Amino acid sequence: MIPELDRTALEDESVEVPPPVAGFIDISERLTGFTAFDLYATGMAQLYHDTTVDQVGREAVGRFIDDLAAAGGDPDRLVDETSREIARAVTHLWYLGVWPALARSVHRALGREKANTAFTAAPEAYPEGLVWRTFHGHPPGAKAPGFGTWADPPPGAPPLARPDCPAHGTGGAT
Amino acid sequence: MNSPSLAGRRRYDVIVVGAGMAGSLVAKRLGDQGWRVLVLEAGTGTLDTWPGHLDALNTFASAVAKVPNSPYRPNAVAPSPDVLHVGGLPGGGYRASGYLVQRGALPYNSDYLRAAGGTGLHWLGLTPRMHPDDFAVRSRYGYGRDWPIGYDDLEPHYRAAERELGVAGDAAEQADAIGLPFPEGYVYPMREIPRSYLDNVLAARLDGHAVQEKPGSPHTTLRVVTTPHARNSTPHEDYDGGRGYRPVGAAGLPNYGERCVGNASCTPICPAQAKYTPLKTQAAWSRDVTLVTRAVVSRVLTTSNGRARGVEYQEYDDPAAPASVTRTAEADVVVLAAHAIENAKLLLVSRLATRSDQVGRNLMDHPVLLTWGLMNHPVGPFRGPGSTSGLEGFRTGAGRRTRAPFRIVIANWGWSWPTGSPGADVARLLGMGGDPAAPRGRGLFGAALRDELGRGVSRQFALQFEMEQEAESRNRVTIDPLHRDLLGNPRPVVTYDLSDRVKRGMAAAKAVSDQIFGLLEAEDHTAYGPGPFAPGHFRYEGRDFVYQGAGHGAGTHVMGASRETSVVDPWQRCWDHPGLYAVGCGSMPSVGTANPSLTMAALALRSSERIHRELSELRRPLTVRTAPVPEGRP
Ligand SMILES: Cc1cc2nc3c(=O)[nH]c(=O)nc-3n(C[C@H](O)[C@H](O)[C@H](O)COP(=O)(O)OP(=O)(O)OC[C@H]3O[C@@H](n4cnc5c(N)ncnc54)[C@H](O)[C@@H]3O)c2cc1C
Ligand code: SF4
Repeated sequence: MIPELDRTALEDESVEVPPPVAGFIDISERLTGFTAFDLYATGMAQLYHDTTVDQVGREAVGRFIDDLAAAGGDPDRLVDETSREIARAVTHLWYLGVWPALARSVHRALGREKANTAFTAAPEAYPEGLVWRTFHGHPPGAKAPGFGTWADPPPGAPPLARPDCPAHGTGGAT
Repeated sequence: MNSPSLAGRRRYDVIVVGAGMAGSLVAKRLGDQGWRVLVLEAGTGTLDTWPGHLDALNTFASAVAKVPNSPYRPNAVAPSPDVLHVGGLPGGGYRASGYLVQRGALPYNSDYLRAAGGTGLHWLGLTPRMHPDDFAVRSRYGYGRDWPIGYDDLEPHYRAAERELGVAGDAAEQADAIGLPFPEGYVYPMREIPRSYLDNVLAARLDGHAVQEKPGSPHTTLRVVTTPHARNSTPHEDYDGGRGYRPVGAAGLPNYGERCVGNASCTPICPAQAKYTPLKTQAAWSRDVTLVTRAVVSRVLTTSNGRARGVEYQEYDDPAAPASVTRTAEADVVVLAAHAIENAKLLLVSRLATRSDQVGRNLMDHPVLLTWGLMNHPVGPFRGPGSTSGLEGFRTGAGRRTRAPFRIVIANWGWSWPTGSPGADVARLLGMGGDPAAPRGRGLFGAALRDELGRGVSRQFALQFEMEQEAESRNRVTIDPLHRDLLGNPRPVVTYDLSDRVKRGMAAAKAVSDQIFGLLEAEDHTAYGPGPFAPGHFRYEGRDFVYQGAGHGAGTHVMGASRETSVVDPWQRCWDHPGLYAVGCGSMPSVGTANPSLTMAALALRSSERIHRELSELRRPLTVRTAPVPEGRP
């Protein structure tokens, strides 16, 4: 049952909220190889979108979007070096939470007035880096898996039969 | 606990300089015995509160380079060295900036931390004991310096230190695999930290196999051995004659911080505080211990006959501003516990303990040779503590006559130390090197990038060969009036190099590594060459090597049997100055291959007993009196 008030809200077009940064997510799926669901789940989409625009400017982002469309959406077919560098930087941001220093030539071509240095987008961005998920790892200092879990075989690894050394060590019940 | 005005007014029994591991343990022991202890700490004391801890975690998360000092805020008036201050040059050689002035042929490539808690905030927490042979390297193996005491003298204090630090380990295995003597039936406070999956893979493929350092040299049988840690595990029910052990939780938040949950960030910060830090000891200080932070000790004061009388220190408010007030504090005993390099600096500045000309000399570390490769299936890197096991067969034995011995640490965190993984892998696959001026590669994107990272990183493993470095008088800390920090205190000037003995040890280590990689059927990716990330590059007998620093600074106020040749006596008392102690790894005449802090803690507890006796003797006329003392008598 949807309460009366909510139904009115749903019917009213003026309060319909567009999915945030949908275009950016669309591009990021192609750059990262992760699904929109995974990308939204990091909680970082808006921040990364804003960081990108802030770092390279709307114009360059616009050209990058056009170039990517012209390349059939395949980042690997980007030929313009500035757009390709933006593709690398946005991917780097998703994988590590860190905006990287750009190639000096691209930095110059963009006429950027900010320092060309790497920085972490926000403290929360670091544990959300996609890189940890590529190998079933977890970010050091966050999302701890629990006592003794490091003794288990990771996905894709054979279990070890070592009777003298049970998988959870001899550290007692876990 | 910060009571600046107090320090100026009151007289203390003991002044401890530095609230790191050594200083915190001494203060605990003496405070428990009712002595009035003043601890003067150069750094700030923000980390013993829960908000301070959370702030450090955030600072760590934000740091682009996650080095040991990255969670801790820089302090301009009590600066710390940082590994980022040392860089390699393209054609070989290094350059150093920052706090340490480096003048050696090779860099002293280790950091320490000046904040309440000290370097023990970001240590890894491995606590092996030294081997009995390590105390007599000159008489048994013909190099370096002997200790004036042996393993047996230290053994009860090792046990006391294992209690204070809360060590998890398997004593029976340590005795069997390494030959460490323990009293009959001894167990560590907590059961061993479980081995990593990687350890078990290595054990399955290496245990029982023999390797040779060179054709013709004797065989050494490999065995993977779990390492003792100062890290909460499962309490051992047999500990302390069946009384068991209660793990110590977090400082600043009661009922938090229990068993290690595998955050895999012990260096530089354990979010759960499962790892021991000196803040845990400080939380248990008695009311007789007064901590004053933001108090940089600048000089030790002595009476005309050389007895320690107190210290001069500079108290500041703002770690970013060079404004301070100079104060003095007085006590019967002064204990320098400011870290090996800072202790030497303080003695040099105060022109004390000069007789043997050994202050600042014999600087040692454990130079680390890294090797790294890919296993033929995933091994689960970046899980659990930085290391849970090692290979201990090269720690002593006949080979020690000709080359440095070593302990092989199995590293659970992939290639993070040698190459900066996994960040460096992402950058590399994207075609981005560390240098923005260099041309970019094409880069991989999408599923190809994701798959390639998964396939590569999941199979990473590394070995760390921790070499013993022997005491050499040319490796030293000095001061130079031209190099001062913001408060006008001299900065340490370090002259450092590796002997041929250490270099021969590294060549042997590499040969052992090659055979281990062969037995593991691993792809070896080890590569040594000069470059910005290789300040420890050198060539030896036509081959390239790169070493790292372990952060195990030692030897700078060396202990010995004679006042002519050493700085402190077997109790860590300065020979030349009654009432002045210098505690810490600086007292160690040799460091063996074990990580040094457990030994340092044992020494500090042993010295605390001596200080207690000394104070009791000083006070005897007052404390043992039975009848009222007539007026006018002290
Ligand atoms: C990255 C890293 C990992 C390590 N891992 C291990 C390990 O796994 N196992 C192991 O055994 N060891 C390890 N170590 C070594 C270990 O951290 C040190 O041996 C130990 O912390 C030294 O303790 P300390 O009390 O002598 O000095 P510190 O911990 O450095 O404490 C000295 C204190 O004195 C204060 N101080 C300095 N100057 C002054 C002054 N002028 N006035 C007042 N106060 C002052 C400092 O602020 C600090 O609080 C590691 C070190 C590093 C760097
Ligand atoms: S592995 Fe994690 S929980 Fe365990 S000691 Fe290290 S940082 Fe702490």
